[in-house]
Amino acid sequence: MISSDRSGVLEGGSTGERRPLFSRLFVDDSRRTFAVIVGVILALLVLPPILILIQQSLVHTTTGGEIIEVTLDHYRRLLDDPRLLQSTWNTFVFALGSTIISLLMGGVLAWLVERTNAPFKRLAYATTIISMGTPYVLYVIAWLFLLGRAGPVNDLYRSLSGSFGVLIDVNSMWGMILIEGFLWSPLVFLLLASTFRAANADMEEAARMSGASVFDTVWRISIRLAWPAILALSLFVFIRAIEAFDVPALVGTPGRVNVLTTEIYYSTKLVPPDLGHASSFSVILLVIVAVLFYFYSRISKNAERYHSVTGKGYRPRLFDLGSGRWAAGAFVLLNFLVVLVLPLAALLWRSLLPYLQGFRLSALQNLTFDNYATVLGASYYLEYAWNTILVGAGAATAIMVLTAIAGWIAARRGPGAVILDQLATIPLIFPGIVLGVAVMQIYLRVPLPIYGTLWILFVAYTIRYMPYGMRYVYSGVLQIHRELEESAEVAGASSVTALRRIVAPLLSPALVSGWLFIFLLATKELSIAILLSSPDSQVMAVAMFDLWVNGQSGELAAFGLVWTVVMTLVATAFFAWARSKGQDVFGS
Amino acid sequence: MLEVRNLTKIFANSYDQLAGGIRNASFSLPSGTFFTLLGPSGCGKTTTLRCIAGLERPDSGYVGVEDRVLFDSERNISVPMNLRQIGMVFQSYAIWPHMTVFENVAFPLRVSKQRKYSSEEIGKLVNEALETVELGGYGERPATKLSGGQQQRVALARAIVGHPKLLLLDEPLSNLDAALREEMRIELKRLQRQIGITTVYVTHDQAEALAMSDRIAVIDRGHIVQLAEPKQIYFRPANEFVARFIGSTNLFTGRAEDSVAANSLGTVRLTDGSAVRCVFPAGATAGEEVTISIRPESIVLAPDGVPVSGDHDVLKGTVQAASFLGSSIRYEVEVNGETVKAMSPPDTSFDPGERVQLTFPPTSVVAVERSSDRAAA
Repeated sequence: MISSDRSGVLEGGSTGERRPLFSRLFVDDSRRTFAVIVGVILALLVLPPILILIQQSLVHTTTGGEIIEVTLDHYRRLLDDPRLLQSTWNTFVFALGSTIISLLMGGVLAWLVERTNAPFKRLAYATTIISMGTPYVLYVIAWLFLLGRAGPVNDLYRSLSGSFGVLIDVNSMWGMILIEGFLWSPLVFLLLASTFRAANADMEEAARMSGASVFDTVWRISIRLAWPAILALSLFVFIRAIEAFDVPALVGTPGRVNVLTTEIYYSTKLVPPDLGHASSFSVILLVIVAVLFYFYSRISKNAERYHSVTGKGYRPRLFDLGSGRWAAGAFVLLNFLVVLVLPLAALLWRSLLPYLQGFRLSALQNLTFDNYATVLGASYYLEYAWNTILVGAGAATAIMVLTAIAGWIAARRGPGAVILDQLATIPLIFPGIVLGVAVMQIYLRVPLPIYGTLWILFVAYTIRYMPYGMRYVYSGVLQIHRELEESAEVAGASSVTALRRIVAPLLSPALVSGWLFIFLLATKELSIAILLSSPDSQVMAVAMFDLWVNGQSGELAAFGLVWTVVMTLVATAFFAWARSKGQDVFGS
Repeated sequence: MLEVRNLTKIFANSYDQLAGGIRNASFSLPSGTFFTLLGPSGCGKTTTLRCIAGLERPDSGYVGVEDRVLFDSERNISVPMNLRQIGMVFQSYAIWPHMTVFENVAFPLRVSKQRKYSSEEIGKLVNEALETVELGGYGERPATKLSGGQQQRVALARAIVGHPKLLLLDEPLSNLDAALREEMRIELKRLQRQIGITTVYVTHDQAEALAMSDRIAVIDRGHIVQLAEPKQIYFRPANEFVARFIGSTNLFTGRAEDSVAANSLGTVRLTDGSAVRCVFPAGATAGEEVTISIRPESIVLAPDGVPVSGDHDVLKGTVQAASFLGSSIRYEVEVNGETVKAMSPPDTSFDPGERVQLTFPPTSVVAVERSSDRAAA
């Protein structure tokens, strides 16, 4: 700056001498320009959904959408309706129960796999990878096969007890909690595994050297040290369970157990749709989630403060469980069977039979590949798959481009850092179903002809998964030492060139990991798509949901398994890539 | 006392196929000894310490403290680490951030399997330990609110609170800044004397080892190459590796003129033809190829041509460079194509290019065993 100023002042005549000054100004401007452009795009994506929900919850409209009057009627009706209380209570019980189950299963598994010498560890990662590739809706249906009236569990009970009843009524709160718990346990495993892996083993060894037994060490040291991380993760899972739609819709609704998300969904399905009611429900859900996320961010900040990475890297030091080793191995194996093998086996069984039958040898004579033939022969299944991949890849790409710039500016405290960070993180508070309601209403109104096309899904997915992209980029940039950029600038590169030539290549592992992670999530998405996709823009998860509702469970199982195989390959690529680049799988 | 015999623990390194670890380490320490395992990183010193602690299981060997066998591969004895009653300070201190200072120090008493401590006893012992490390009154502080030096003291208090028979210290000073390190070095030594506890100390810092230890084992690539008192290690290094690793030295090669008895003076004909007398700790036969070590501070520089007393040997050379270090001047002198380092008092002044004589008493020159291919630190 000083030298270019001087050359400008002292020899100010020739344009050649003035150039450094101008380019300097331009550089600062370009960063600001970037910040403004990305900020405006983010704001246009993120803010309208909130505003439209609030607005719609406060007005009466004609069926054409014109506002008749401003009113608090929707809220009044909601508060008078005993169903609000009931479904709020259900939501709470459901979220709490499934959080506890997934935390117990995933947490114990993570500790055994990362910190002890238990056998069969690879199975735990195999479970995680394959379940990353399995659509939630398919997984839930697999469990409905297993625990349903005609499923093997109740079947076995009947043949053992001689009664005609059921042992488990899956369409109940317990069924919902159990299935949602299974659904989340792989992710809990993944996140806690990285916590336990990063734990400073010196802390545990110091306890052992002080005379503590394995149990004492785990109870007094390991768990206490991981506690903030566990607490933060619990809250995260709790929030996600509040937002869950797949399990409540598929498992709870037939048993008349409603939660907030399904209430919202079914009020949009009324004829005519009660959007005011749905909006006021959505606003309430939004507020609950926002409050919980506020606590979440406080707790997770605390967790990071506790997180101590010290000492030299030594060989991984594991607890020797002695003879308990095989009990631990049995747990790992059981988890593998319950979370992965059983549901997949149920799907496979169903896909090979013409109609729903119990697990009996006598059914084997009916084995057929007809369902696979139908699925692979029908062009619409290919179209669903193609739509899903297209919209998932599109959203992942758009997000990574936007957050690469926003995350870089935010991590480097550039112009508007805080605002960009906030804007990109806001969508965290949108449950999928709420975002679906909001986006639907926006594009019913604005004269953009994207309603009922894949574009509206693309927009909604981009909003929904923006925070994940931000998280990957932000922590990726923090890992790049600032001096690497500064030395490029000192060497004469503009800050844009430094971004392109230095930051972007170094950031590419984070960008690729983030892209794959978002792609995997987006291709499973049901709750947004179920409100926004039309027969012309059908995606896989909604197609599966419809197949289930229509009772075509054989085709559903076949289609689902084929799809899961493909997505498992993507998930494997994701894990292999993340591991080879030393990336943590959740961007932290 | 600590008794270690034929301790072996080998790690096959998956990256470069080189095996790390320790081979056949044996030493026996009288009670109260301050013993240091010294060597470059990766030499096996930490592995040795961890084997004594029970954090690693040795492949073979014997470890015993006082009359108690902690590990014996022949009798298949291996006492679990939490029953060994050994105090240990980790390099990272490993102060548990979720506990107060008091609770950190009290932990070994609370989890003790050997006996139950009443809360009065715990209070008394913890406060004693905290007084010993001069942290009296810090008990209620959260552990996260401590400086590096204070954490170090807490770690030490925790290691000694249960009055163990053996104290293990794994590079405890390496995370402190230079000034504090100097201070803690003295402090640690004072403490060890005061408690009278047998101590095994691991470091790669030779100055630290020389200053603190009663005995030092120098380890090179998994082998103990010399085990002796600090002065012995410094003035009578067993081989080229030790001579290079401890302090700074000048090495020359030549041949013994005559047969020499162990621990007596003999003459070496250097490759450039000049003759130098030196001490042969192990003796030599006539014509044997030898390496000799001359410490830079043993060399006195004099202007060329000045008469030299007969009990000093002389080499001649040209000053190449001089660096003023405050308390001394470090000269580099070219002697027949080789660069020789010499430390001189700060008031000397020789200019680059000047011809000088390097004189030194033969008793300060020592023949060392040649190390085959080792790259010295």
